[in-house]
Amino acid sequence: MQQFTVHKIGPEIKIAGIDLSFTNASLFMVISASIIILFLYLGSKNKRIIPSKLQLIAEMFYAFVAKMISDTAGSKAKPYFPFIFSLFMFVLFCNMVGMLPYSFTVTSHIIVTLIMALFIFVAVTVIGFIKHGIKYLSIFVPSGVPAVLLPLITIIEIISYLSRPVSLSVRLFANMMAGHTMLKVFGGFVVSLGVLGGWLPLSFSVALTGLEILVAFLQAYVFAILTCIYLNDALNLHH
Amino acid sequence: MKSFLFLFIALKAIDFDLYAAEAGMPQLDPTYWASQAFWLILVFTILYISISKFCLPKIKNNLDNRESKIKEDLDNANKFKEQTEEKIKEYEAILESAKKEVTKIHFESKKILDKNIQSKKNSMDKEIEKEISKAQKEILEIKKNSILSIQKISESISSTLIESISGDKLNESSIRATVEEVSKKNIGKYL
Repeated sequence: MQQFTVHKIGPEIKIAGIDLSFTNASLFMVISASIIILFLYLGSKNKRIIPSKLQLIAEMFYAFVAKMISDTAGSKAKPYFPFIFSLFMFVLFCNMVGMLPYSFTVTSHIIVTLIMALFIFVAVTVIGFIKHGIKYLSIFVPSGVPAVLLPLITIIEIISYLSRPVSLSVRLFANMMAGHTMLKVFGGFVVSLGVLGGWLPLSFSVALTGLEILVAFLQAYVFAILTCIYLNDALNLHH
Repeated sequence: MKSFLFLFIALKAIDFDLYAAEAGMPQLDPTYWASQAFWLILVFTILYISISKFCLPKIKNNLDNRESKIKEDLDNANKFKEQTEEKIKEYEAILESAKKEVTKIHFESKKILDKNIQSKKNSMDKEIEKEISKAQKEILEIKKNSILSIQKISESISSTLIESISGDKLNESSIRATVEEVSKKNIGKYL
């Protein structure tokens, strides 16, 4: 569990009695964000008709997120494209940077994912009320439900709506943490079983690393697409 | 299932904060929560602003440029194709009319030539006929003349012959009458 510990880097910064020191978590946030900006800068620098490899990858990310938004939330979600793109890239690059040995996984901390999820939850709710006013509450009352079941269904809908930030944040946090813990456990087996028995957990480790890279991408995708779905509920009010 | 398990652990651990930190989940140690939240918001805000203000417009611009360029090229290609087809049609029409012209010119010139040849031939024929008749007349004249002179010659020859044979001079007029009689008898042979 040592890989998840947060420790201070540099001097202590205290504002109004709250410790806001620069930590290794902050460092890896900054590293991930810098990699994203550098990558996107290099990917859009040359305005070539036939793109270079880096430009092609950047444009693929753009097209991927654009398609994801238009598929799930429709054309009304266009103004939120930069936010969802940033969110996807941030989560993806934090996950991927976390896959490097000796690095720190920002998204394996519940507080980080919870803040992102809460922000999305609050923002989506505010957007819903701005777009539809008090009618937005009809999201809790699905149409076509028998009158007897309606109170129960409404309560379930409210609970499911309120649990969105929790499920969104815990999904990402738990996946990242579980994956890294598993890698750590198998790594420990390799050491304890030594040269004779260590090969089996080592091969597992290799396979798990591949799986974790897949999970890192998949969780970023899931995080972004769930944001799109919540946004779709707020914008289009389907029920 | 996994996420629900962790949710359970997380909720349980929040209740027993100290226990959680000691149990080895640094995520649940609140010492640096404020710091992480602060840096997350700061870094993400900067990332969001730089992406939405600088990176995405550039990428979008690139993509739009490429799309419009491709569209333009395709349009141009279509236009050029149409132009080519038009030119080919024009060319074929020109070729067709030229062919017609050629046959027409060929026909006309042939006609003119034929006419020329015919008229030349006619005039030649006439001339030749004229020449021939003239020549025939001349021949006839010459023949007549020659007959007269033959008569004269034969008169003088016969008078000389008779004189030398008989020694007498015969009447010139009787000789002439005899020669004329003989020549009249034979003139049909020569004329």
